[in-house]
This record gives sequence, C-alpha cells and structure tokens, in this order.
Amino acid sequence: MTTLTPTPQSWLRRRRGLLAMVALLIAFPFLVSIIVDGQGLGAVIANDQGNARFLQGLAIEIFILAIYALSYDLILGVTGLLSFGHAMFFAVGAYTFGIMLKTHEMQWVAALVVVLIAAILQAFLFGVVLVRVKGIAFALVTLGLASVFWIVIQSSDLQQWAGAEIGLQGVRAPVWFLDTTNERFAFYLVTMTLMILCYVLYLRIIDSPSGKVFHAIRENEDRALMLGYNTFWFKLLVLVIASVTASLGGVLHTMHQPIVTPNIAGLGFTVTALLIILIGGVGTITGALVGAAVYRLLQFYLDRWFGAASELLIGLAYVVLVLYLPYGIVGTWRAKAAKRKEGWERLRTLLSPGERPTS
Amino acid sequence: MSLLRLEEVHTFIEQFHILEGVSIDVPEGDIVALLGRNGAGKTTTLKTILGLTPARSGSVFYDGNNITGRRSFDIAAMGIGFVPEHRAIFSDLSVEENLLIAERERGDFAAKEDFIFGLFPDLKRLIRLPGTNLSGGQQQMLAVARALVPNNRLLLIDEPSEGLAPVLIEQMMEAIRRLSSESTVLLVEQNFIVASRLAQHFVIIEEGRSIMSGAMKDLVDDDETIKRYLGAGTGGAT
Amino acid sequence: MTTDTKQPEKVSKQRQRADWLLENRARVSVLAALAFLFIVALAGLESKDWFPTIMQGLSVGALTFLVASGLSLIFGLMDVLSLAHGEIFMLGAYVGWTVYTRFDTTVDATVPLLLVIAPFTLMPLWQRMARWLRTLGRKWHFGIWILGLGVVYAAWYVIFAAGDADAIEGEVSGAGAGVTIIVSLLFVAAAYGLYRKWRSNDGSVESVKEAMSLTSWSLLALGGGAAITAMTKFPLVIWDAEDFAKSPSNFAVQVDLGTLAPLPADSFGWPALVAFVVLLLGGSLIALALSSLQTAIGDVAPLTRKHWTGFVAMVGLAIVLHLTKASLNEWVFGLSTTWRFFLAIAVATGLGFAVGAFIEVVLIRPLYDRPIYQLMITLGVGFILIELVREVWGRPEFTMARPAAFNGTGEGCPGQGLGGFFSGCSTVEVFGGRLRVYNEGFVVLVGALVLIGVTLLLKKTRIGMVIRAGVQDPEMVEALGINVRRVFTLVFAMGSGLAALGGVLAAPSIGLSSGMGATFLLGAIVALAIGGLTSFPGAAAGALLVGLLQQIIIRFGQTGINLPFLDEPFKPSPTVVPAAAILLMVVILLVLPSGLLGRSER
Repeated sequence: MTTLTPTPQSWLRRRRGLLAMVALLIAFPFLVSIIVDGQGLGAVIANDQGNARFLQGLAIEIFILAIYALSYDLILGVTGLLSFGHAMFFAVGAYTFGIMLKTHEMQWVAALVVVLIAAILQAFLFGVVLVRVKGIAFALVTLGLASVFWIVIQSSDLQQWAGAEIGLQGVRAPVWFLDTTNERFAFYLVTMTLMILCYVLYLRIIDSPSGKVFHAIRENEDRALMLGYNTFWFKLLVLVIASVTASLGGVLHTMHQPIVTPNIAGLGFTVTALLIILIGGVGTITGALVGAAVYRLLQFYLDRWFGAASELLIGLAYVVLVLYLPYGIVGTWRAKAAKRKEGWERLRTLLSPGERPTS
Repeated sequence: MSLLRLEEVHTFIEQFHILEGVSIDVPEGDIVALLGRNGAGKTTTLKTILGLTPARSGSVFYDGNNITGRRSFDIAAMGIGFVPEHRAIFSDLSVEENLLIAERERGDFAAKEDFIFGLFPDLKRLIRLPGTNLSGGQQQMLAVARALVPNNRLLLIDEPSEGLAPVLIEQMMEAIRRLSSESTVLLVEQNFIVASRLAQHFVIIEEGRSIMSGAMKDLVDDDETIKRYLGAGTGGAT
Repeated sequence: MTTDTKQPEKVSKQRQRADWLLENRARVSVLAALAFLFIVALAGLESKDWFPTIMQGLSVGALTFLVASGLSLIFGLMDVLSLAHGEIFMLGAYVGWTVYTRFDTTVDATVPLLLVIAPFTLMPLWQRMARWLRTLGRKWHFGIWILGLGVVYAAWYVIFAAGDADAIEGEVSGAGAGVTIIVSLLFVAAAYGLYRKWRSNDGSVESVKEAMSLTSWSLLALGGGAAITAMTKFPLVIWDAEDFAKSPSNFAVQVDLGTLAPLPADSFGWPALVAFVVLLLGGSLIALALSSLQTAIGDVAPLTRKHWTGFVAMVGLAIVLHLTKASLNEWVFGLSTTWRFFLAIAVATGLGFAVGAFIEVVLIRPLYDRPIYQLMITLGVGFILIELVREVWGRPEFTMARPAAFNGTGEGCPGQGLGGFFSGCSTVEVFGGRLRVYNEGFVVLVGALVLIGVTLLLKKTRIGMVIRAGVQDPEMVEALGINVRRVFTLVFAMGSGLAALGGVLAAPSIGLSSGMGATFLLGAIVALAIGGLTSFPGAAAGALLVGLLQQIIIRFGQTGINLPFLDEPFKPSPTVVPAAAILLMVVILLVLPSGLLGRSER
C-alpha cells in the first residue's frame, strides 16, 4: 500500500457516508414537518408543536447518548480499561454546569471552563487509582468512586445545590442556541454538530500513533510496556479525553432535560453505556452512534407498547446480545464485509449481462 | 500392544497452530521420552492427550478407545495421571490433602500409601505441612506422588528434573524407574542424559511435528541427530 | 528459583518472622490504623451506646456476609464477579415474604413449578435423547427451529396485541399495524436465516454443533411457551390484578397486616389434567433443551429406579398439593408465624440454589472463554431479576412482620441479660443498651452459623478440598479426573442459596424493596474488595468491617462529629452512610491492592 498525504478533499471523499448522514440529519426535521405533520418548512424554525419538534427532542437525546457512549467505547472498547464509574464522568459535567449556572449565576463560557477543569480533575482522580490497581480491582474502585458521588449527590446535605433525590431543576438556558424549549432546531443542530465533531475527532485519535498504543494496551499491556511506552500516560490521556467528552454530554443533558436526576450518576447509567456499545459493537467507535440510536428508539417504542415491562424486555435483549451477538451491529457488519462485497459483485454481474465475471 | 496412540494430531491455542501433526505410539509398560527444543510443543502434546487443549483434528487412542474430544476429567478418570511442569501442586492444601484430592475412590490413598512413601520417604514427615512451605524438590515429589494415588495405567510426566539439584535428580530418576514397574510413562524431558537413562523409546518433536521416533539405545550414539534437534538439551546434565 | 540449602532451624524461623512483618507491613499498619480508629470512635460513647452499636454493626455485617460469602467463593473459583448476586438476595426476600404472608399463593405456584421441574429428575433420559437428536437428519432440526420461531412469534403477537389494546387510541394503532408488519418481516427474515443455516449444515462437527445450539434454543422456546401458557391456568390469588392495580400501596399494607382475606382460587379454564400434562411436557422439553445445550456429553448414567422414583414422587406431590390445597392452606395459616418463617427460609434458600444453578448452566457456562462477557451477563441477569420482581410483586415496598418467637411484648419484657434473648421478647437489655432480639440476636447467630458451616465445609470435606484446589488451579483439578464444571455449578448454586437466605433474614428487619439488592451487593463488593477478592475469611472480615463502620457512622451522625476545621459538629445524613464504607474500600485498595487477607499475586 502506498501512503498518500491525505488532502482535505480526499478525506471528505472517504467520508462520503458521514456527509450524507449529516445532510440527512439536517433535512430530517423538515421532512417530518412536511410529510407527517403537514406543516411548512417554517414550522421547524418557528418551533411549532408537532411530530417534528418531538422527534427532534428524541434525536437530541440520541446525540447526547452517543457522545456519552463514544467516550465509554474509547475507555472500554479501544483501551480495554474496565471502568464501572463512567456515569460519574457524565454526571459531573451535568451537575457542575447546572449548579454553576443556577446557584452561582455564571456566564456560560465560564461555566464551561469550570466543567472542563472538573472533568480533567476527575480523570486525574481515576488516573491516580490506575497507578495502584488493575483489572477487576480497577472496576471495583471506579464503581466505588462513582457510587460515592451518586450517594453524595442525592443526599439531603447537598439539597440546596443538587436538589437531593429529585434532582437539579430550573436551570435556564444561558444563550439562545442552547435553549431546547424555544429554539429546538438550533439546539438540535448544536448537539448534532458536537456529536459529529466528537466522532470525527475520535476516529482521528484512533488512527493516530497514540491510538495505536491504546489498542496495544488492550491487547497486551506488558508488550506495550516492553516496547518502551509508558502506558500510564497513555491511559491517563484516554481518561482525560473520555472524561471531557462525557462531561460535554452531561452539559448538553442539563440543557435538554428539565430535571437532572441523580439516576445519571448511578450504576444503571454506566450499564446504559455498556449496553449501547454492546449493541453497536465494542471498540468500533461507529458502533456507539448506531447503538445509541437503536437503544433509545428501542427503549422508546418498547416503553410505549409494553409500559413497565419494557425494561424487562431490554434486559432480555441485553442477555441475548451478550450471548449471541458479541461484536454488535457494526462489528458483525464489518466481519461480514468481505462476504457482502462478494454478494454485491455477484448481483452486479447478474444485472449487467454484458460484463463477464472477472476472476 | 500400545496403550496410547496419537495419530496426526493438530492443536490450536487460540489462533496459534501449536501442534501440526504429532503421531506417537506408547507401548504398555515402557517409558517413552518426548524430546525436542523449548517451544516445540511437548507440553501441548501432553495437554492434548488429556483434552486440556483439545485436538482440532487427528485422533488420540487410549487402550483401544478413541478419546479425542472427551472432557478432561473423563479422560483422566480412565486411568491417566498427569504431573505438570513447574510442580503445580495445590499450595493452599496440605501435603495430605494434595494426595487425598487425587483419590478417585475412597481408600485409594490408603492402599497406595506404603508404595508412595517408599518412593518418597520425605513426604511422610511433611504430611501435615501446607504446600506453600515445601521446597522445590519436595513439591516435585509431591506432584509425582499425587499422580500415583489412583491406579493410573499411564502417567504423563512433564519435566520432572527441571530446576532440581543433582542429588534430587538422581532420587527422582530412581523413583520414576521404580514406578514404571506399575505404570506406563510418557515423559517430557529437556535433560537428555536423564531421558536417555530412563526411557526405552523416544519421540522427537520439532516445530509441532513428530519427526522421529525409535529405540532410545539407537539415539544415544547418534550425535548428529542429538545436536541437530536437541541442541542445548544435552549440555545441562550432571 | 529454588535452592534446597538448609539453614539452621532457629535462624530461619526468626528470619521468617522478620520477613513476614516486612512483607506485610502495609497490611499490619492498615489493621493497626483501623483498630485505633474503632477504639477512638467507641471510646467517645457510653457503654449503653456502644454495645448496641457494635451489635447492630454485627447484624448488618452478617447480612452483608451472607451475600459476600457466595460472591467470594464464586469469584475465587470461577473468576466471575456475579453482579446478579444482590438481586438473588432480593429475590430471596420476596419469595420468603410470599411464603410467610401468603402461603396460599405459594401452594398455587408450587404445583405448576413442581410439574415443570419433575422431568429434570430423569436427566439421563434427556441426555440420551439429546445425543440421539444429534444424529437426526437436517430436516428434523429445521422443523424444530421453525416451530421454536413460531412460538416466539406467537408470544410476541399475543403480548403485543394486549399491549396495543391499552395504548392511546388512534395514534398508535396505525403505527402498531406498521410495526406488526415490520416485526413479522423480521421473523420471516429469521426463518430465511434458519433456512440458510439448514442448507449450510453439512454434517461436519462444527455445523452439527451450531445446528444443535439452535435446536436447543428452539426446544427451550417450545418448552417455555408450553409451560407459561399452562401456568396461567393456575390462579395465583395474590396477584389479583384488579385489586392490585387499584391501589398497590394500600394492597401492600393490607397484606402486611393480614387483613386481606385470601381469595378463593378460580376454577380452571380448561381441564386440570390437560394443564398438568402440558406442564410436564414443557418441563421435559426444557430439560431436553438444557441437556442438549451441553457441548459434550460424557458417559450417560443408566436410568435407574431411583430416577423414576424421584419423578413419580414429585408428580405425586404436585397432585396431592393440588387436591388438598384448601385444607393445607388452612392448616399452615393456623401455624405460628415462627414455623411459617422457617418454612419461608427453607423455600427461599432452595429457590436461590435452583436459580443459581440455572444461571450458571445456561448463561455463565457458554462464556468461560470470554470473561468480560460473563461479567456483563450477570449484570443483565440482575437487571432482569429486578424487573421480574417489579412485574410480579409490583413497585410498592413491603414490610414483613417479625415471627412470633422474636416479637413478644408485655409482661417480663424486655428480657434482661444474655438469657433475655431466649425469653421470646422482641427486645432485650444487655449492658444497659436495648437490643432487638431478631436483628441483633437471630440474624447475627445465623450469620455466625453460616460462617462456621462454610468454613467446616471448606476445610473438612472433600468437596471443600476440591473447591480450595479449584480456586488455585481448576485445570489441574480437572486433570485429576474431577468434573470441575459440576463443582462450579454447585458453588454458584450454593452461593446463590446463601444470598437468598440473607434476603429472607433481612426482610423482617429492613423491609423489602426492589432496590435492596443493589444496596447489599454494593456492601458485599466492598467487603470482598476489603478482604481480598478471593479469600473467604477475608469476605467475612470485610463484611464485618462494613457493618460496623456503617453503624458507627450512623451513631455519630445522630450526635455529630467534631471535625477540626468546622465550627459546628458535622452531621452526615443517613443516606450518605454507605459512602463511608465505599471510601474505606477505595483507601484500602489503594494501599493494599489485594485487600487485607488476599494474596498479593495470583
């Protein structure tokens, strides 16, 4: 294989699918507005009630979940660190941003800076743990740290800031493009852009030399160490990137949801991330986006049809996935890529009788 | 009549093709030595016989039965004893428990007690000690003794002399010679001098293939073969 | 490197001691620090305060230990950290509560369950049949797959139709029809996939294995479908949906108080005999499916009279129970609550055992070469169990009355001194402090008994020896001719049984909620991590530490802790108490990554 210097153009060409996806996502609210609601294009901009507005809300939730799951995939899927405290990464962002805006009445940029600092600090906290413990013990310590955070955040001692069991409510959007109630379409575009940015950034990170080391750490850390990489710094870097990304997801969550409940700090929310990347495919990055969409839609429709029993069905689906589809949608799709290509070729030769099969 | 026969056995560990065609014939009542360099696949051969790393193709016959694909405990219970390398005794268990756990039927150990302590008198003194407190040589003896507790017709012994002091090697060789009157032995041994003094037959494994076999007395004089396939193996003896 | 040089005994002993201290200096200093902290903490209290605090700590510690013990054995032996363990604890509590307060429901549920389980006594038969299935032609396999898929589709359709009827009118039904079409297409696609599989099944070892796996799952679907369909014909009076839906919490209160009269059981929709036969059939299919899921079947034991006796006994028991239901219920409700409590303990523990065995065989076993996925699947199982409990018992929290033997009041109460524990009073005064006989007496006693029992089992019996050896090197144990997988199943089942026992014990003292499992699992994991993950004594010590620490913090939370830089005493609210134990775990793991009693390297 010859190495070409990637020019922007060639990069864009390689990402045609992504660009098409973005175009589709931008067009999506308008399409729904015209086809389903029978309203005009202006209805989207004017933030009228209807399916378009509702589905944008659902899509925003998917984008936020995707950002969150992306960061977990980097930690667990790519680098192989079994962290059970990932929900804390998300919740710290959500709560910090909310409290900074509401209680301290900060400018939103300042609040974001505080969130960034908090995110980096907590990554360092997990990093300190990494120095001492590995494997299952790391999973337990991270679970422990996150549980402490979860317990503290819903305790009555912090009622005036975090709102105890009910959660943080009454955070007002600081600028118009973060206002999900009045400017839904703008917020939709913002979350989508951020998700796509994170996704592209993650792909680049994984293709970079550091990304290769992340993979090496998952496959065989001792070998990476012997090759002269101080794996600790790489792991810390992973934690910082993931923490900042997840916190960004948390910030968006605070903007989108009327109430930030303590649930987003619990083990259940880490399991959500796990489930999403399992559905999508562990370690595939793209799988986080696919998984988030499938998970949220599945949850939404199951809840609609089965009510309380939907959670049970999701649990069953999870078990079946773990047993029978361990590589997830994207993983399995990629594994079958060769076969599929063969099938397409056969179809093409069938459809164009003039060509002879070349082999 | 051979007690154990391997035919063209191929074994994979994960995606690695470790055994690429091993055929062995172990006559009943004899000692057969498996020779070869480090990493040639000798230990994997033993584990494949026991089904610990199952063969992907080829067959293993024991006492006329095809035992390929059976579960390990099933194979072992047919009368195959295993002495793993690195003296894998149970260090949390006492010496006595290490012997008792090998019983297939209650009273196996009581029946063989005199024979075992006759081979390894030291163990009798240490019977109450936990496995962690044994020295390397004592652990090796315990590992061999453990394989003798049930009535095993075949013993698979992996590197019995590894890391032992010369005096202890002598003692171990004596023990193996005496126990071979009761069982057939398939022995993996790096130390060629030890192997040549114990075994009647040899099989050489090179890169996962059994490439040569025959009577040990023929091999002893064949310096060229020894140097070519066993290399450093000859040097380390007493 | 080992050398066999012998040193004079005396010198080596002294050196050993010095080495030991040096090696374990971190461990020793942690223990010393802990002891110091406890003494300081307790010195601040009067005797009438600290004694009950310690006993309450022991009580919580005992419950935590019951969860942690199984967790520790399972993790030690199989390297599976079962995250479903807390939910088995919860299941134990709910089942125990049902047996205790609503025995009639228990009988109603036992009859079909017995019938489903009865065929499992004939395991050799199913194993032989599974082996025969393997030799069957492809067409038969394909037929079974399609049948299984059909059952799943039918189940989906029935549930969906029911769900759709409740949905908001108009809006969803259109979408509902669309979804029905989509899902139906999915099932057609699945059938096509099966057809492809059938075509590719060329009789090679791999393809037969895959075909058998699909066949087993189809059989499981068939059996499960049959069993569930027939089971709905057995009226379970407590879940009278109408009554329950009206006011769940009111319902729970009435049940707790015992003022809700048992409803008369409905008559069968179809002949009882048919239901019985369908249940037996379902059970047989499930047993067959499970035995054909095993990849390799060794020698099949001959089917002896013992198996048949067991089968006939179970079926007979089911029939007798069904016929004598009314009088049996009357008799049990006439019993003292103490007896009913012990019955609840036995049933819940047994059920926990069975559920554990089932989970290990069906879900954990196929994943031994993918450890992370084992962890994930236990997480999923825990999730399912919580939702199952919510589905069956609803969301309200229940309380459970203490059995009569621990609930006496009136004359001569509270009891005095240690003898007071046996006076039948609900409370007792020891060293000036007031204790509850059930919480601080009985629970602690059972915890201690289990500790002694399991320790004896580990140290004195052959199976214990095998477990200890297996913790270290399961492969070698297998090479000795011992079926390690069976030991795995047994240990998993035993651990689950102990957790369920913990659940029943906890119910009268802390009540029932669907969150109780998570709380205790967290406590148990903390205990395990503190004690050293694979060490059984470590789990006990850790559980004790967790219990004591929590109770001491609660105690101080009431009076307030004087922290150096605060003007007012710091009063943590009770909700933050678990955080203290977790912080302790984090600190201990950071100082001693392998815990207090764990081995440093495995």
